[in-house]
Amino acid sequence: CLSGIATVTKEGGGNDVQWCFSQVKGAIDDDVAEADIISTVEFNHSGELLATGDKGGRVVIFQQETENKSQPQCRSEYNVYSTFQSHEPEFDYLKSLEIEEKINKIRWLPQKNAAQFLLSTNDKTIKLWKISERDKRPEGYNLKEEDGRYRDAATITTLRVPVFRPMDLMVEASPRRVFANGHTYHINSISVNSDNETYLSADDLRINLWHLEITDRSFNVVDIKPANMEELTEVITAAEFHPHQCNTFVYSSSKGTIRLCDMRASALCDKHSKLFEEPEDPSNRSFFSEIISSISDVKFSHNGRYMMTRDYLSVKIWDLNMENRPVETYQVHEYLRSKLCSLYENDCIFDKFECCWNGNDSVVMTGSYNNFFRMLDRSQRRDVTLEASRESCKPRQVLKPRRVCAGGKRKKDEISVDSLDFNKKILHTAWHPQENIIAVATTNNLYIFQEKVN
Amino acid sequence: MEYKVEAHRIMSISLGKIYNSRVQRGGIKLHKNLLVSLVLRSARQVYLSDYYSGACLNAQSEREGNEWDITDSEREKFPPSATECDRVESTEEPQPNEQPEKEREYRENDDEVKSDQVDCTSTLQEQNQNSSLDSVAKVSSETPPESITEPKESPSDSAVAERDSTPEANGESHQPPKPYVCSNRKRSAEESESGDSPQKRTKVASSNAKEDEEAEEMDTSNVSNLITIFGSSFSGLLSKESAKPEAEAEDSGQICCDQMLKNLNPWSTAIVAF
Repeated sequence: CLSGIATVTKEGGGNDVQWCFSQVKGAIDDDVAEADIISTVEFNHSGELLATGDKGGRVVIFQQETENKSQPQCRSEYNVYSTFQSHEPEFDYLKSLEIEEKINKIRWLPQKNAAQFLLSTNDKTIKLWKISERDKRPEGYNLKEEDGRYRDAATITTLRVPVFRPMDLMVEASPRRVFANGHTYHINSISVNSDNETYLSADDLRINLWHLEITDRSFNVVDIKPANMEELTEVITAAEFHPHQCNTFVYSSSKGTIRLCDMRASALCDKHSKLFEEPEDPSNRSFFSEIISSISDVKFSHNGRYMMTRDYLSVKIWDLNMENRPVETYQVHEYLRSKLCSLYENDCIFDKFECCWNGNDSVVMTGSYNNFFRMLDRSQRRDVTLEASRESCKPRQVLKPRRVCAGGKRKKDEISVDSLDFNKKILHTAWHPQENIIAVATTNNLYIFQEKVN
Repeated sequence: MEYKVEAHRIMSISLGKIYNSRVQRGGIKLHKNLLVSLVLRSARQVYLSDYYSGACLNAQSEREGNEWDITDSEREKFPPSATECDRVESTEEPQPNEQPEKEREYRENDDEVKSDQVDCTSTLQEQNQNSSLDSVAKVSSETPPESITEPKESPSDSAVAERDSTPEANGESHQPPKPYVCSNRKRSAEESESGDSPQKRTKVASSNAKEDEEAEEMDTSNVSNLITIFGSSFSGLLSKESAKPEAEAEDSGQICCDQMLKNLNPWSTAIVAF
């Protein structure tokens, strides 16, 4: 079995992908409006659509323009396709609690017909949205004027058949289902099943299984709430369905463990089928060990053989057939290990970074601070740190690898750990399912980078 | 000792986070509060053990291979820095997994060998009855039961029809967390073994013992009461702390704050709110 630790050996050259700037979306203002903070990013299954959710409860969908074959240099761009308010702030009067409208996750459904469907969720309520196009409208009604006013019946002397006439494309988003009151605690994940009929939603202590058509009922499949809340030692941090096996899902915990559950085994999956846990390295033990081992994201590989977990300092790749340790471990920003105390004080240690796979599962990506993000190449055992910055925004400008100096003498072009801006964090990233196009969200901007084409 | 200050600082920061989380938009985040309470517990262990080691040094403990002693001498080698809080813990290993190991170690050296935690608690309570009680510790136990129900039941499941057991029942059946009890046991054992500075140490040990009993009742206390007590105690502590970095139990304000710290069950503050 492999147990590799990937380190930077060399960068650039050879067959490495070079990333270049494509687009940036969002306000240039340094003053960030809280509602504009991006909270989730997700490509749909074809990669044609890219959805973002923000703290203000809005969803913005970008559509990739069909590529111009005659000009291959002109990369296809993503332009705004639809914008809608998904969730509004709510107030739970019973508990005197405000429910944030922030969109925690968006998940696309596989496309079945002309319309697109996505699930979006805030802390308490999941909604199924239908996004459909309208490019023609009926004209020539007998009883109504074009503006909708009713005609005086006495003036009607002839009859005609209404016809469809082309109109400017209009994209409509309408809520088709609202899945409410299923969760007492804050929803952190949703995941659509490969059966395309069900999906799961997970909060801190429970995971529910829903049918996409049924909103007034859900099945509880995992419940880790102890009888006495004072005995609580861990919470659920993320959950995902297996990409092919509709009976299998995993959930990660704040203790750094991942449990794989098989819904065929029993109705309530409190007993896991597999438990993935790596013994803690005693030499790394510190005051904040428990916090940094909490898993913030778990993602299956596209082929369904591996899963990736993200904790505060590292990314781990697990083989589903091996429970006792990951097959690969990548350090994202090990230089932060000595700063955990300060990061605890400024709350950065609680940041939940996400991670994602590329289309063929050979490279994984995750974010860091100072608007840095990391590309970890599994096949070539190389990793690179790139930056999403307004300063590298010239069209097709190639991104230069960045280096952080952990200590000692700082070389030219390196940035020292103390100069890192911890307010500039990249928590959400997404990779196009087929092409080398990535979407990287800084606080309130969305960067799109593409592979350099020679 | 700087380590004590650092642990104390971490504790106050942690409490501040728990307090602020109550007023944050979107309600209390269970995950974050759980993590903060873990840090709070670890810091408290260090603080208490640190405190104990300070007294232990005076007592000239003849324990060899004693984990606390080793860490104490190791600590003195480390220069004070912001990373201290990390390193202190690495030598002390405050993980709950380590507790059984520590407890075994204590038992080996302890004359009063007890087989389980329940016995441990009762030993302290026995001692407790014979020693003077601190008025501050007593105040905290007098919170009216009516105020307990509200914060405990606020997160009642709307979707599930279950009924949480009454807070009082929870409080009484709940045993204090293992590490806390262990350190108290050690203190009491130490007290019985050596007779140095009996007055000062007896007072501290007894108030600790008292708090052990109090801990059960503290579990059910109103969270805001605790935070209020802490708030005033801490501001008092911080001003005194800077004046007397090596403050010993002479300082009544110090005792008050120390007792509050020992009194605190980190779980209750974070979890009771749910």
